[in-house]
Amino acid sequence: MAVRNYIPETLEEALTLRMNEHAVPLAGGSDIMVQHRKGMGIAPDLDKPVMIISNLQELKGISRRDDGYIEIRALETPASIAASELVPWHVRQAASRMGAIALRNVATIGGNIGNASPKGDLPQPLILLDAEVVLVSLTSERRMLLDQFILGSKKTALADDEIIKSVLIPEKEFTHLFYRKIGTRRANAISKLSLSAAAVVRDGIIEDFRASSGAAGPKVIRSREAESLLTKRQISEIPEIADDFIAAWDRAISPHAMPVYRRNTTSRMLLHFLEALQDEERSGIIE
Amino acid sequence: MSATKIDDRIVRVDAMEKARGEALYVSDIKFPGMIYGTLVRSSIARGKIISINVPDLPEGYSFITADDIPEEGRNELWMIAKDWRCFASGDVKYVGETIGILCGPDRNMLSYLKERIKVEYEEEVPAVTIDDALSLKGGPIAGEDNIMCSLYCEKGEKMDDVFRKADSIFEETLETGFQEHVHLETNSAIVRLEDGRFTFYISAQCPFYVRKSVAGLLGLRPEDIVVKQTTTGGAFGGKEHFPDVLAGPLLVACNKIRKPIKLVFEREEDMLYSVKRHPSKVLFKTALDKEGNILGIDGKIYYNCGAYLSASYVVLQRGVFHANGVYDIPSTHLVGYGVATNTFPSDAFRGFGAPQTLFAIEMHLSHIARKFGFDPAEYKSRYFLKKGSETVTNGHIVEDVKLPEMFRQIADASDYERKSKEYEIGSGKGIGISFYNHGGAFTGNGEQAIIKAHARLVKTGDRVRIEVGSTEMGQGFQTALRKIAANALEIDISRVDYPNPDTSRVPDSGPTAASRSTMVVGKIVEDCALEMKARWDEGDFSVEKEYVHPDGHPWDQDTFRGDAYLGYGWGACIVEVEVDKLTNEVTTKGIWSSHDVGKAIDELIVHGQVNGGVIQSLGYASMEKMENRNGHFRQSSMSDYVVPTSMDFPKQEWFLVDNPYQWGPQGAKGMGELVFNGADAAYTDAVERALGATICKIPIPPEDIEEAIDNAR
Amino acid sequence: MRDKVVFHVNGKRVEFEGNPMTRLIDILRDDLGLTGVKEGCGEGECGACSIIKDGKLVTSCIIPVGAADGSEILTIEGIKDTPKGICITEAFRDGGAVQCGFCIPGMVMAAYALLEENHHPTEEDIRMAISGNICRCTGYDLIVSSVQLAAERGGELWQ
Repeated sequence: MAVRNYIPETLEEALTLRMNEHAVPLAGGSDIMVQHRKGMGIAPDLDKPVMIISNLQELKGISRRDDGYIEIRALETPASIAASELVPWHVRQAASRMGAIALRNVATIGGNIGNASPKGDLPQPLILLDAEVVLVSLTSERRMLLDQFILGSKKTALADDEIIKSVLIPEKEFTHLFYRKIGTRRANAISKLSLSAAAVVRDGIIEDFRASSGAAGPKVIRSREAESLLTKRQISEIPEIADDFIAAWDRAISPHAMPVYRRNTTSRMLLHFLEALQDEERSGIIE
Repeated sequence: MSATKIDDRIVRVDAMEKARGEALYVSDIKFPGMIYGTLVRSSIARGKIISINVPDLPEGYSFITADDIPEEGRNELWMIAKDWRCFASGDVKYVGETIGILCGPDRNMLSYLKERIKVEYEEEVPAVTIDDALSLKGGPIAGEDNIMCSLYCEKGEKMDDVFRKADSIFEETLETGFQEHVHLETNSAIVRLEDGRFTFYISAQCPFYVRKSVAGLLGLRPEDIVVKQTTTGGAFGGKEHFPDVLAGPLLVACNKIRKPIKLVFEREEDMLYSVKRHPSKVLFKTALDKEGNILGIDGKIYYNCGAYLSASYVVLQRGVFHANGVYDIPSTHLVGYGVATNTFPSDAFRGFGAPQTLFAIEMHLSHIARKFGFDPAEYKSRYFLKKGSETVTNGHIVEDVKLPEMFRQIADASDYERKSKEYEIGSGKGIGISFYNHGGAFTGNGEQAIIKAHARLVKTGDRVRIEVGSTEMGQGFQTALRKIAANALEIDISRVDYPNPDTSRVPDSGPTAASRSTMVVGKIVEDCALEMKARWDEGDFSVEKEYVHPDGHPWDQDTFRGDAYLGYGWGACIVEVEVDKLTNEVTTKGIWSSHDVGKAIDELIVHGQVNGGVIQSLGYASMEKMENRNGHFRQSSMSDYVVPTSMDFPKQEWFLVDNPYQWGPQGAKGMGELVFNGADAAYTDAVERALGATICKIPIPPEDIEEAIDNAR
Repeated sequence: MRDKVVFHVNGKRVEFEGNPMTRLIDILRDDLGLTGVKEGCGEGECGACSIIKDGKLVTSCIIPVGAADGSEILTIEGIKDTPKGICITEAFRDGGAVQCGFCIPGMVMAAYALLEENHHPTEEDIRMAISGNICRCTGYDLIVSSVQLAAERGGELWQ
């Protein structure tokens, strides 16, 4: 109960606290306030200092950069991300289905990534899109793929003097897009399973194919091995590749609960997407 | 101001203060010098308590246990039985059993101290499911066979004779799970001394139950204790007996500490450590002739009661009495068993045992119908009970049954017959139907023999005050009862008062439960009002009356024979769904219901009850999954035990039929539970048809649908 | 570094110097006596403690007071006597939206936040806007139609 908590006013103050006291950054509060909840009339207590960074202006904003990336700063909320036309479709879809409206107004992309819950909504489409995170400390700034940043359930590569500054998403056009979140109910729901898929098909050739599964293992799953089975192949070859592809994907995921449901549903959704790729009449968002 | 009439559209008397956030619930109330309490509970499902280690408590903090019950008191809560202990002592029987109550002024400090109270156990093997209990896993919990209570009733020919004549036998087991009430206001109470008397401010359905239940802890009489009901934020049966479990420890603590003590459950506590709906397992064995006509049904009904009997025997009785649904089956033999397990005791929940068996019989008859190629609606309607039909308890239906008319209403509105034919089995689209009822008020002559409800009207000047023990918990009774009184008195409703009951000021009208309040208490109030109207010019006076049971409807509570209920509510529901073939997600496309509540005292209130009951039932069938592993509930929050949101189900179409009940106020009968009793089966029927699978267990979330599809292959 | 938190609740300035991790709901209910803010779950799942912070609907149980620094907060107490608040609460009353009432102040706040942004919501818009506010009594239909009633009756109020 004796630990002190802070409200830094600048990013530099926050980074100093991070360096000196390894204070835990609290962005929106929607994870930390729940995970460390102690009851009515009692302040959550983490046994280590917390710094409330909710109001740091340096960590706000969504912009298009000159180098072909969309930058989403760490304190942007699912509500603002879902509403931004700069943000890629898959990410907007995931943001718009995250929790309840009130949660979407306080949760942050930095928090959702930093928490690294297997059921987190945003990492799944971000990893699909090869998004990177920018990590800053008082002395350094580094970039890494989000897929490498998230190590496992609730585990990340964040150093104890670093803060997540922003997420960078490379801009890319896809001809086919798919996103589904199966929640515990139709709104205000935690993800039971989610899947994103995207492809670029030109002149009957699959130039790019990718997919990512959420809530199907300790972290978001992308299988380059499975993806490579389809890339550079003709769509007419899909029927003969499909079984191997599905089997490879199935090997990649490792759902610990509801395994049969999660596996079967993932397979059905992927097959559904592959069917759409073969149909020259269909492109864009695959329902 | 004009006289309020029953058919007038009025607004709820409590709506504005609630909408403005001014209504005070327990958690909003503070008293000078008030301290807080928190319950310390068993963390294991079954075992002996070896030791309870309490850290040194700072001044002003106390830890109260069974040892603090005075000599003249007994460590028991008197619900229907007296088996539920106020504090576990010597052993524990389920996870969450109260061991003690920690009290003190600062909630931070309480939380700190609570983490440091260590209870050592010698663990034993718990029995958690009905099957565990029947196989005596870990040894018996209750008696020698874990059967806490049982009953049977039979009608028609002997089962052996019936099955000898059968061309075929259809046998199946149908199951339902735990359901948590999730009243938005958690359980909560404050105790303090007022003029030397222990006084409770409590969120409760039945203030008179509370004082009866806890008085014995201090060797007091019920009337020595005062219970004031506060604005109650939902209950659904979860605040029928359960408030006693808060009130008991509070009373023992207040007796020692002599300060006001407040106990408000966190949501997690309310999820993990409160009563639930009884899980059930119903085995039906049905004798059929060549054409698929039912010759007789043999039913075995098991309810998981948890570790204490509480109200389970009465719940089980209602389950058995509703086990043939709305059908006149020529011969039937129904046995019910209440099974003891090491789970939190199961207790009252809207429907009180009826929903489980109604689900079972509805699914069972649908399955038989499909097997023989009949539309379930057509098949079921052949067996509808009618006025004069013999019931499973050898009594008779004493009122008109309007099910054919109700079916027509919803079938036309939903285009049922066309869709039922057009949507092919397994096509992803399905429409389902159910029929159901709910016996109003206490079983048989219980109202007269056991409850003996009283109600009083007090006239002061030109105002009239209703004095009853019945409570408002959201169902609209404060408005409905005022309307009944105003209508009979021929005065404007604004001249009628009905404050929340205070047991020291109002007569005992019986519990606010069993869909009895409007039907029974409303009738007594109406009778009082009619007398008051006749004597209006006598100045200030009061009129008090006791319930009178109609003659000519015998009931034997020992053999369970006779007219179990004089007035039933009746219902019919259709649900249409589409199942996503990729994900098994079910989209409900339409909901149509028709109910016979006798006469609606207030149509807007009935509308709200229908909507709410139907959605609760659809949640029960579709998403409300509460699992128990080794005695521990796995769902502990509102994010993992999910109830429907505004997005989960579409706007409902609803209908009523007028069928005035001769002994009810203005023809009204029970309604609050009826509206819960059937949408679950209609939904499940629709999902089955959409999938081409057989479902025998609810809830059925997408992951369990996967299993049903697998089984169908 | 901020050593105290300053914000406005229903137009009144509030200063707080204690632990910034203190839950906003506890400040509102216990310190300021705004008990119209209800606690139903304590983890942002039920919406009973919904308030409006800088124009946005949020649940006050998962916000540390430190995150409220510099903000403008509206609770049910701050809107109930305004023309808009009266419009919504009366529509809830007349439309039969209220049963046990515990979710209703939060529901009124959700409706307020919606109507401020969307003056002519469809049924679907309303269902979406209140989807974070759990009601166990009503099945939502009469709440949805009451919000519609408030939109219609309010008319220019919402422009």
